[in-house]
Amino acid sequence: MRPASFEYHRATSLEHALELLAEFGEDGRPIAGGQSLVPMMNFRLARPGHLVDINKLPLNSIESDGQMLRIGALTRHIAYFDNPLIARHFPAFLDAVHYIGHPTIRRNGSIGGSISHADPTAELAAVCVLYDAEIIARSTAGERRIRAGEFFLSAYVTALEPGEMVVGVELPVPPSSSTGSFIELAERSGDFATAAIGVSIEFSSGRITRASIVCSGADLVPIRAREAEDFLQGKPLDAAEASEAARLFATSIDPVDDHIASADYRRGLIGKLTQRAIEAACNRALDK
Amino acid sequence: MIDITLEVNGVTKTLQVEPRRLLADVLREEFRLSGVHIGCAHGACGCCTVHLDGTPRLSCLTFAAQCDGASIRTVESIGGPNAEHMLQQAFKSEHGLQCGYCTPGFIMTLVPFVEEMVGQKRMPNDAEIREAMSGNICRCTGYHGIVAAVRKAVGTRLESGV
Amino acid sequence: MKAERPRHIGARIQRFEDIRLLSGSARYIDDIRLPDMLHLNFVRAETAHANILEVDTSGLADLDFPTWVFTGKDTAGLSMKAHQDYPEMQYSEQPLLAEGKVRFVGEPVAVVLAEDAYKAEDAAELVFVDYDPLPVVGNMAQARDPESTPLFEGWNGNVIVQRQMKGGDLEAAKAQAAHVIRRTYRTQRQAGVPMEGRGVVASFDKATRVLTVWSSTQMPHLVRTYISEELGLPESRIRVVAPDVGGGFGVKGQVFADEILVAWLAMQTGRPVKWIENRREHLIASIHARDHEHTLEAYVSADGRLLGLTADITVDNGAYSTYPFTSAGEPGMVGKVLPGPYDFQAYEATFRAVATNKCAIGTYRGVARPSAVFSQERLMDDIAAELGLDPVEFRLKNIIRQFPYRNVLGFTYDPGSYAEALEQIRELVANDVAEAKASHACAKTRIGVGIACFIEQTAHGTPDFTRRRVPIETGYIAARLDMSPDGEVTIDLGLQNHGQGLETTMAQVAADALGIGPENVFVRHGDTMTTPYSVGTWGSRGGPLGGGAVHIAATKIADKLRAIASHLLQAKPDQIELSDGKASVRDKPGSFIEIRKLARIAQRNVEQLPEGMTPGLEAHASLDGPADGSYANAVHAAVVEIDIETGKTKLRRFVVVEDCGTILNPLVVDGQVRGGVVQGIGSAMFEHFIYDEECQPLTTSFADYLMPLAPEIPNIEVHHIETPTPLTPLGAKGLGEGGAIGPAAAIANAVANALGVSVASTPLNTNAVWKLAQHIRDAN
Repeated sequence: MRPASFEYHRATSLEHALELLAEFGEDGRPIAGGQSLVPMMNFRLARPGHLVDINKLPLNSIESDGQMLRIGALTRHIAYFDNPLIARHFPAFLDAVHYIGHPTIRRNGSIGGSISHADPTAELAAVCVLYDAEIIARSTAGERRIRAGEFFLSAYVTALEPGEMVVGVELPVPPSSSTGSFIELAERSGDFATAAIGVSIEFSSGRITRASIVCSGADLVPIRAREAEDFLQGKPLDAAEASEAARLFATSIDPVDDHIASADYRRGLIGKLTQRAIEAACNRALDK
Repeated sequence: MIDITLEVNGVTKTLQVEPRRLLADVLREEFRLSGVHIGCAHGACGCCTVHLDGTPRLSCLTFAAQCDGASIRTVESIGGPNAEHMLQQAFKSEHGLQCGYCTPGFIMTLVPFVEEMVGQKRMPNDAEIREAMSGNICRCTGYHGIVAAVRKAVGTRLESGV
Repeated sequence: MKAERPRHIGARIQRFEDIRLLSGSARYIDDIRLPDMLHLNFVRAETAHANILEVDTSGLADLDFPTWVFTGKDTAGLSMKAHQDYPEMQYSEQPLLAEGKVRFVGEPVAVVLAEDAYKAEDAAELVFVDYDPLPVVGNMAQARDPESTPLFEGWNGNVIVQRQMKGGDLEAAKAQAAHVIRRTYRTQRQAGVPMEGRGVVASFDKATRVLTVWSSTQMPHLVRTYISEELGLPESRIRVVAPDVGGGFGVKGQVFADEILVAWLAMQTGRPVKWIENRREHLIASIHARDHEHTLEAYVSADGRLLGLTADITVDNGAYSTYPFTSAGEPGMVGKVLPGPYDFQAYEATFRAVATNKCAIGTYRGVARPSAVFSQERLMDDIAAELGLDPVEFRLKNIIRQFPYRNVLGFTYDPGSYAEALEQIRELVANDVAEAKASHACAKTRIGVGIACFIEQTAHGTPDFTRRRVPIETGYIAARLDMSPDGEVTIDLGLQNHGQGLETTMAQVAADALGIGPENVFVRHGDTMTTPYSVGTWGSRGGPLGGGAVHIAATKIADKLRAIASHLLQAKPDQIELSDGKASVRDKPGSFIEIRKLARIAQRNVEQLPEGMTPGLEAHASLDGPADGSYANAVHAAVVEIDIETGKTKLRRFVVVEDCGTILNPLVVDGQVRGGVVQGIGSAMFEHFIYDEECQPLTTSFADYLMPLAPEIPNIEVHHIETPTPLTPLGAKGLGEGGAIGPAAAIANAVANALGVSVASTPLNTNAVWKLAQHIRDAN
């Protein structure tokens, strides 16, 4: 269980990395932490002819200008734990990171790697969709910004073209009267989620003014619960109708039936997690 | 083939490797470090954990070629041939190992955790200890002795004030 | 003959093996490196049932590095033959490499060797196999259909073996019964997964004509015997070495085709050959376990007395019969143990193994008993529920209390603490039971308490094996002890250590008999060149039989030391006490001689020996198990907390009360129990090896095959009762497997208690528990 042969290139700058990726096209892959890519290579399910090591690139940062939070692609998952920007403005993000893998994976995995791999239940993919993030991709042709909702196309398939790599993610900073939550259920701690729900709400005078809800596990990519979001608009923060919002969403999805879980269970679970995530977000809002 | 220079357990060596050689295999073969164990080769069991520039890292998910210039530590550098590091001694007294195959991975994962708790001057609770080792699978001990060993190690350090 | 004052037996001393394991200097199979070694990669079947049309190895010719390739044509005739000599058992063999046909995904079809392991894998990818698919026999129902395509030439359908066991008057029991309770229970297919996979290295020395085989095995002597018989070499020219072994759990307690194959390849190529199993191979092609369906029918009197039991048992065996326990082993074991610790004398069991296109079933910790006890204890709770009786009370009403007890099949149980253990557990979980009851009015969170009460036959002796007519004829363990002139002792042990602390516990036993310290005893094991012939470490016999053999041999040496001391000190031998490194005359302080000195005299200053005594301090002993084995008992209790709306089940508490007779080292015993319990928790809640309808394996990595991690496990409380058995020299019973036997039953009973439903199958993962809780959500 060892990889097929490949050629290894150490990128000394972003431009260098992009030149190499342009040269190798579909046969080239960037490698950061390798936590998602290398297992596939060891199983020989992924066989890139060229790996471009981007670990030395200066893409490890979390910055905000007040309007947008920009996270560099090489930011490791543990970086979010004691970042005041994330804690203050993106509580659902912080909740989500707690569910990622286990400590060593969190130390070494990167956001760029995670979303490029596009596992259907990757927490950071769900978070990007929840916050309407923009994925910033670069190639020798320049920069391309892709909305999270259009970035994840299917299981392990993204909108990245050959020669393109993710350099960062930008999330619009929610207003101060906002909060959120993220709840996941997996068989064991750190496992791939059976289902996960992220909620972000803006509120005013005891009512929800805007709601954003993302779900992993209903489909091959994270999806937004539009009907539930629309339903919650204007509803009070006592979350009395969280279960109705959840029901609206759960009845609209058509989850898969497989050896891991039944469609009925997925639907029931997603409904329940949706309700709980809404309630949790509302409780946090009431505490503020 | 790629030229790389690795500092492993304080010994620096330059060697030529195929890009696809896993760090785990290079440590075992070229550096003769039999304490690095491979349990799954897909990052799910933690047996192969080493320290790369001071941070725990799964050596089965790392290509040696990526580690040029890096400083690597394996279990052989923790406590020497007589396993004298106090976490190793705690594993021994609390029966935190049986067959020993997962043990180096647990040690490399938990040494930094013990340091972190000692730095914070506090005893972690059960949930925190178990979360810290949630990336390591043990099939023999049921984890009980390992949790006890962590508590013993932190407790001994806090008591002695070191 | 017991030691004067047991000091080291029962002491909680730290293990001698730990230093090398902790410092990274242990030597496992992948650490064996030989000059000119070739690395082996298997080409394995990717389809579950097919005729092989062609194995095309021509792609290897284009490679720029040397390779060696072998197929079933080269190994024709070499096979594993694991058969029980009954007319009811259909005969099959497992070829070392597939001959003309493949019968499960993962079956070895060819091997490719190269000088580098990575390149061997590259080369193996260039071998192309052309298959002509056959209809897949994918499950028990299909296998039992007489029209299903037989897996083997000349077979009649795919029932490998079907037999019966019975005792007592079942008709009378049925006639007297006021209640008849019939249930079907199902436990899922699992893999054993020690953290170290399997591996074999072999080397043939042309000069001495000695074949050396290193294998990560629990039974080196049996590997040697099979290689000898299959390859036609004398056993004296074969050396099998088990190096440090990273977990066995019975998975490594089989003799495997690849062990014979690697040995053969070393002889064919004239170079050392190494094969290290990867994790995917382990999951799909080593052995599986626990794939059972049991239908039980209990006959119960009006006042809740169990009168009789019938059982129909089916094991989904996979394609091949594993050596040495065969396909008949697993279902036969269920039939044998279902009577359990309960007092009834009418029983009939029909048991069968069926062949499917899956990996073979073999022995994995508990061996059929986790499934049998699941059925047994679920049934006890189901009966109690139907009769409106408290589950503990119902068990106490029926538990065996008088010993020795001859059970309905004629097996004799030695003394145990069955009722005491039940009563202790009841007290220990009393608060949880009350809390659980209070929660049963709640619709969001429910707490449940479940128990499992069971006995385990350990250390069974030769009659048990000859009765079964298995290829393995016996179960004894042998030890050879030697005290060198410096007073240090070496034990060459027929057991083989793979985590159970034998280098320490056996030293403790010898130390007590000889009056020296355990640190003066060096335990060697795993190497057939130096250790006496034994069956290996499995079947919970290390403590009782290994320890017993060591005790007997050490006592022989101790007797000789006493004889020498009595001669030199002018006392009677029965006045000599061996303790603290000295041989002293009882009641005569100051009159002693150091054991070290006696050892030197016995081998160097032999002029001081008594008249007629030959020099030397060595002894050999072998200990067979009692005819019916010795029965350990335990009760497990699980407390679960269930989120009714999501099915998420938290294991709040797990308690064990166990009795394995005399405890050699409490540290080791607690570790064995806890480790076994966590594997049992895996069986109950997480682990499921899944095939699709075409028998394609779906759980082929640790991302899909889920084992318990630390956060899922509560603090496991272990309490001991010690009822020494009269049947072994030290009073010890076996305990290696017990921890793994009870949890599935205890946890299932806890879930049933929490939800107020019957639970018929495992695993109880979140989806399964959610489904079981449907009626509670509906009512809300």
